[in-house]
Amino acid sequence: MESGRSRMRLFDLALVGGLLLGGIVMMMPFAWMFSTSWRLAKDSFSLPPQWLPTTWRIENYQEVFASIPFVAFVFNSLKVAALITLGQLVTCSMAAYAFARLRFPGRDWLFLLFLSQLMVPQQVTIIPVFILIRMMGLLDTHAALIIPGIFSAFGTFLLRQFFLTIPTELEDAARVDGAGYLRTFVQIILPLAGPGLSTLAIFTFNFYWNEFFRPLLFISTWEQMTLPLGLTVMRGYLGVGNVAAIMAGVSMGVLPVLLVFLLAQRYLIEGITLTGIKG
Amino acid sequence: MGPARVRETVVAYAFLLPVCLGFLVFVFGPALAAVALSFFDYDILTPPRFAGWMNYVHFFHDPRLPQIYLNTVVYVIWYVLLTTVIGLALAVAANRAMHAVFRYLIRTVYFFPVLTSLASVSLVWQYLYSTDFGIINYYLGRLGIQTIPWLTSSRWAIFSIIFLGVWKNLGFNFILFIAGLQNIPRHLYEAAEIDGAARWASFRYITVPSLTPILFFTIVWGFINAFQVFDSPFILTTGGPGDASRTVVMYIYESGFRFFQMGYASTIALSLFIIVVVLTLIQFRLSRIWVFYQ
Repeated sequence: MESGRSRMRLFDLALVGGLLLGGIVMMMPFAWMFSTSWRLAKDSFSLPPQWLPTTWRIENYQEVFASIPFVAFVFNSLKVAALITLGQLVTCSMAAYAFARLRFPGRDWLFLLFLSQLMVPQQVTIIPVFILIRMMGLLDTHAALIIPGIFSAFGTFLLRQFFLTIPTELEDAARVDGAGYLRTFVQIILPLAGPGLSTLAIFTFNFYWNEFFRPLLFISTWEQMTLPLGLTVMRGYLGVGNVAAIMAGVSMGVLPVLLVFLLAQRYLIEGITLTGIKG
Repeated sequence: MGPARVRETVVAYAFLLPVCLGFLVFVFGPALAAVALSFFDYDILTPPRFAGWMNYVHFFHDPRLPQIYLNTVVYVIWYVLLTTVIGLALAVAANRAMHAVFRYLIRTVYFFPVLTSLASVSLVWQYLYSTDFGIINYYLGRLGIQTIPWLTSSRWAIFSIIFLGVWKNLGFNFILFIAGLQNIPRHLYEAAEIDGAARWASFRYITVPSLTPILFFTIVWGFINAFQVFDSPFILTTGGPGDASRTVVMYIYESGFRFFQMGYASTIALSLFIIVVVLTLIQFRLSRIWVFYQ
């Protein structure tokens, strides 16, 4: 019995060790990216690899700012992602309230239609959307990215799932006091839905901060580009030669994601669980 | 209907109006337009010309499409298989009792790549995959494996895209499976232990059935997303060498926005849509056999 237990402990220890080792492998691309961003470009490919920065060449970072409008890229990404997030919070929470709390003919049918939309790949609609955006004269503007982005079936679904977990007692009390639907929604549901709204906000912001496909199609000038597109274009512009500066740019793009992640890990994981398990 | 019900209905549709309007203009309208467009020749600059079934004839005779669809299917199958199997194995391993610091650390490092931009990490991986100077070949060499021309050989190009995709999104499934494992009531395992069930038996007959709803979700979701892969081949290999790593969405993009064949691009897009919908419906049908809802 005793030796069986210590064998179990050893097994657990080996598992944790293996998981940590795998975790190190998962982080290697980031370690290489970060350490390379601080080196001379000609040392980028020195083997065996150096995982920690050996020099601290701030010049690589300065080159990013000198060669591309990096600050503008960050600002554009922030603007586009923030406005889409704000829009989705408004439109999705309204729709989710109707689906979670109100009874009306056609509700289940309409909800199914919403869900079925999750199956439609974006690429199916992208060509007509492109033509539409072009007709509206919105090509190469941020509106082209923002306006189609502020409606989301996923967001509606996520919030509906969340609203269903909120007890109805407070609403019933408010209704007895004569509060209308709008007041109930704004003054009772929304304040209680804080965690659900935060989850959606983080997901949406992260998604549009990282988005590449639509900006590639809709945006053509430096001044309007968002960060992932701008960094890709920078690669072509600097040539494959200056790896260090490209890694400096990518590092600066990943940093905010890391910060958000460390601050909001709980909401992210709850959100994933809510859609994947209770859905 | 009484006046209260009428009022509730009106209010409900008012709340739904913004999202429904958005879907009409940016999803359902364009989806119908894509069907219409597939019967036209349209290069964006000159007015569209009716083409009848021409785009469809072209679609079935396009010599490049079989290879491109094959690449995409290979990507989808390996991507779903690896993210599911590895994600599940990691979750089962990580679900054991361990120090809270380790728990946090492990969850963090496996999940973090999920949040980064695929386009940006593709820029990094492009260098990791370098044949002569990349760190991947360096470490494989240390293990005695021959140099692999990851991005430049038609045999390996699609796998370099698969491995990047698996690395990036593994953590998503990992987190889901962990949550699922923690949802399994403890008393089931205790009962099995009293009955003298072996570890493997309790994994096979308790853990796996309890996780089937999540497995179903990760597989369906993985399929839908993997069929749309674009950023990583676009940046890593630009679809090459030849068409060896070109995916369907890359081909839609190139047909539409490089060669300005909007009609033909819509035809390919519709084929992708039909395949995704049919596969999803088949999976829902099959789920009745293997998914256990408590």
